[in-house]
Parts: sequence; C-alpha cells; structure tokens
Amino acid sequence: MTHKTNVDQPVDHVRLLMEEFTRSGIATLHLRAGNFELLLSNDPAAPSLSGAPRTGQPPAPAPMPIPQAVVAAAPAAPASSHAAPAAASNGIPDGAIVISAPNLGTFYRAPKPGAAAYVETGGKVGADDEICLIEVMKLFTAVKAGQAGTIVAVLADDGAMVEAGQPLFALVAD
Amino acid sequence: MAIKRLFIANRGEIALRIVRAAQALNIETVVAVSDADRDSAAARLADRSVVLGPAQAAKSYLDPRLVVHAAKASGCDGLHPGYGFLSERAILPTLCAQQGIAFVGPAPDVIDSLGDKIQARAMARAAGVPLVPGCDGVATAADARREGDRIGYPVLLKAAAGGGGRGMVIANNGDEAEAGFHRASAEAVAAFGDGTLFMERFVPEARHVEVQLMGDGKGGVVHLGERDCSVQRRYQKLIEEAPCVAMPDHLRKQLHASACALAASVNYRNAGTCEFLFDVKRQEFYFIEVNARIQVEHPVSEMISGFDLVQEQLRIAGGAPLSVTQDQVRLSGHAIECRINAEDTARDFMPSPGRITRWAPPAGEGIRLDSHMSEGAMIPPYYDSMIGKLIVHAPTRDAAIDKLDAALADFRVEGIATTIGLHREIIAHPDFRANRIHTRWLEQVLLADRKGAAA
Repeated sequence: MTHKTNVDQPVDHVRLLMEEFTRSGIATLHLRAGNFELLLSNDPAAPSLSGAPRTGQPPAPAPMPIPQAVVAAAPAAPASSHAAPAAASNGIPDGAIVISAPNLGTFYRAPKPGAAAYVETGGKVGADDEICLIEVMKLFTAVKAGQAGTIVAVLADDGAMVEAGQPLFALVAD
Repeated sequence: MAIKRLFIANRGEIALRIVRAAQALNIETVVAVSDADRDSAAARLADRSVVLGPAQAAKSYLDPRLVVHAAKASGCDGLHPGYGFLSERAILPTLCAQQGIAFVGPAPDVIDSLGDKIQARAMARAAGVPLVPGCDGVATAADARREGDRIGYPVLLKAAAGGGGRGMVIANNGDEAEAGFHRASAEAVAAFGDGTLFMERFVPEARHVEVQLMGDGKGGVVHLGERDCSVQRRYQKLIEEAPCVAMPDHLRKQLHASACALAASVNYRNAGTCEFLFDVKRQEFYFIEVNARIQVEHPVSEMISGFDLVQEQLRIAGGAPLSVTQDQVRLSGHAIECRINAEDTARDFMPSPGRITRWAPPAGEGIRLDSHMSEGAMIPPYYDSMIGKLIVHAPTRDAAIDKLDAALADFRVEGIATTIGLHREIIAHPDFRANRIHTRWLEQVLLADRKGAAA
C-alpha cells in the first residue's frame, strides 16, 4: 500500500489507516508487523487480537464508536509480556488489562521457594516492577508489569506450566 | 522402554506425519506450536498441543531448552524432532537424556561427528566409502599439474584456507592447472594471506543419489534402497525418485554397501541418509554427507518398500530391535515425489503466503499426498514455503511419470501461487522422460529456456 501523504509518527499511520478503512467499506482489517498488531473492525463479533485473552466465547462488544481500534504493542524488552484489554469474562473485571506469558515455561509467583510472592491480588505495581518468574530449564526470566496499576486477579497457579500467551495476571491501570 | 507419550518438536506436514505414525502405534501425542501455528492440522489431530512462544522460530521451534522443558512439563517420555529446526543439533538429545526423555534420533556424539564435514569425511574414508579424488596441499604450479594429472580433469582449485566461491578456478588440462594455480593462489593470498590450494575432481554433470538407512544403535543397519534427487534449484531438491534407474546394478550394490558400512561403523541409530555424488560419465560415486534425521523425501522409499520409516523410528527410539532384516526388504516399482511449494515461479520463486481458498488434491491408487493443508488454511509467512508432497508409485518409471502428470493436472489449489505448474513442465520435458538430467539441469536448461521465452 502506498500513500502520497507524508506520515512520520506511528499514530499518524494508524489515523490514516482508520480513515482509509472507513472509506473502503471493508468489514475487518487485521495487520501485524513485528510486535505491532492492529485490528480494525465494524463487526462486534470480530476475533480478538492474538495478544488478547482467548475466552472461548465471543468478546463482548466494546462500548466504543465504530470503527473500533485496538492496538497492542508489546514493549521491546526480552522479558516483556503481551498486554491487551481484557474481555469482561473469566472473572476479569471490566477495563482490566491481561498480562500474559511471553513464552512457555513454569510460572513462579515468588523469587525463590518459600519467599513471599512478588505481588498479591490487590497489590499496587509500577510499570518496571517484576511480578513473576517464568522458568525454562533452570533459566529464570522475570516478567514485568509493563504498566502501573493494581493487580486485580492472578490467573495461573504457582508452579504450573504456562503456555505462550496464557493469561497470568489482570491489572487495572492507574 | 516403548514410548508412551511423544512430544513433536516440529510443524507443517512432518508434524502431522509423526502424529499419525504415533497414533498407529497407540502412542499419545503432544505437538509443540508457535503462536502462528495454534490451529495447525497437527495440533488439531494430536491429543494436546502446547504453545511454545511467538511466531519467530528463534523464540519457539529453535529454542532447545524451551522445547525440552515443554516436553518434560507435558509428561512426554519421547521426543521426535522431525527435519530442519533442531533435528541435527546435539544439544537436543543431550537435554533429552538429562530429562529422561527418549530422543528419536542418533546419539549426540554421532550427530556432532557426522555434522562436522572433516570428521565425517575421515569416518567415511575409514569405512571404505569413496570420496571425491582430491589433494589438500597444492603449494606450487608444478604440484598443481602433477596432482591434476593424477586426479583427472576437469579439476577444481580453491583456497585451502577459505570457503565460498572466492579464488575458485576450474582447469581442464595441465596447462590450465598451472595457469589456474597462479591465479587462484594470488587470490587466496590476497583474501586469506595463504596461497595454499585445495584441489579436487570437478564433476560438471553429476546426479545426486542417496541411500535410505535405518540403524538400531548397536551396529545393525538395513538400507531401503537409494533415491535420485537430481532435480534441484539452488541446492534445494524439487523432485525425488526411487530407485535411481541411471545407476547400473553392480554400482548400486556398492553404493548400498558403502552407506551401510559407514552407518554401522558409528553404531548409527535412527533413520538416516547417506548422500553421494554420482559421476555418470565415469560411473563412480563419491561421499557427500550423512543426514542424521528423517528426510523430506522419505516417502519415495516407503512407497517402493512398503515400510513405514517414521513408525520404525519410534519403535527403535523405544528400544526395539530393527523390525526387518536386509533379506526381508523387498523393493518394487518406481516412486516419484514432487515438493509443492507456495512460491511464484514467474517471480523468481518468491514465497506466496496467504489463505488457501480452494484445495482439491488428486487421489487414487498409488497416489499419496503428505500435506497439512486444507481449504481455508493459512500459510504463515514465518517458515518455509512447502505446503505438501505429492508422491506416486507405479510399476515402472514411465508409468510413474504418466501417473504423476495426471495427478498434477487434477491438483487444484487457489488463493496462493504454487509450483504445481512448474512440476508439470519438468516431467513433460524430454530430458526428464529420457532421464538425461543432472543437479544443474533445472537451472541451466529448463529455467534458462523459460527465461529466454519470457524475454
């Protein structure tokens, strides 16, 4: 796709895409490039982004004007996790963000056996705070909250194998 | 101990092929997938799938620790690596052994030594396998002439110190060998600071012939005949057939014996392939390398032998002996395989990922399709472009070509570009029918003619 318009900022790209999308009459546009993913849709039953939780049921229609834009951009740090708006189901409160496992591994809530958990439900976290460990064959990788807020739910069991993209925490941003 | 739950550390058609083989042996299956392959055919057929990581292979299929961790955490006692990805990395069987998981493949030290070109050549020489005649220490122009005369022309001269095509010269006689020495040696000094050259016989029109092996890890080895994989583009095989009808029986016997001797000498365990260059003019073959894994083209050997190689891999990894002796192996008829790739042959074989809107493959007696595709399936852009393998089996090579032509004509795929049309052109070519092909034929003859016609 080429545009004559001069666009410098990612946000301009998105705005331009939204305009083109509205004009085109296309029902759904799904775009993915590296860590960037964009879904534009006129359809309330449109599939969720890959970083968003899979609840096994169609996501609730978002109370947003159509077209709806959902942007999920994972931070570049290797220990980063996907964060995406959560659907109001599975006990995840409205407006909460789901923090998912960046890769498969064993989920640990504490820095070492017997130690206190990094964070409990109701706990406040900063964007750079470590909130859990994912272990792959004795190699421990810390997962950061990615956004400041309050942990409102822990979604995986301590010591369990989690898969890539599996929801670990729900967070309500400050 | 027989494997009870198998972890499949691969994707695409081979993951599906392994799931089916395991199910036939009542083995439970867990398929590893990346985020892009969550809905793959193998994931749907398996008892379970686990998402390793994101689409990039480096963060999913190519991470040995992640793969073995997932296998252990999902309760698997066996791991099949398929081909490509981690299949020939010794770290994978090493980690499996630490976790008490049976690796469906050779021992780690065997993978390492066969994977090292110099060690593999030394092992081949020790087992009496013929190597390309050559000489590693050509230091003067007089040396070059003397060694060239001994080896036989044409010869290839290249820098002993460096790789790649730099400083490579082909010489057709003694005078050219002397002149070539001066040129190649000067280039070698400039590039690597060392003018010593390596010389070996150059085979301008060679066939690629390989022997399918199966070893039990205790010195027991059987072969399932050879394959001819001479239709290649940029060293990638496009069509493979079995047997190699261009090879006379007495040479074929020597070829099989060489491959078995090499595999037995390292107590090879698993399915494996010994690759050779076949110099048709001289009627000689030379060792290239051993592929210590199941190969893409294994179905052609299965078709002529009626033997399931993947099931045998699983049995042997579980500790069983070879299920056949060499006397029990019966080869019959002729089989040909076409690799169907999602590529646009009119645009220099550009990959053509996307959604398949129509998928209507041929079917019938002697026709086999190994594919993970279906209507509506998505070909992600992250991995290789092979979408399936069409294999036919018939009593003779001519009958197999006819059957393949009819099958390709019936194969309807829409939504993406494929190599089906090119395969029809190749097998319709008089050179292919007359079996006058070599490893550079496709590029030098058919694709060159195509370009000429388009210009």
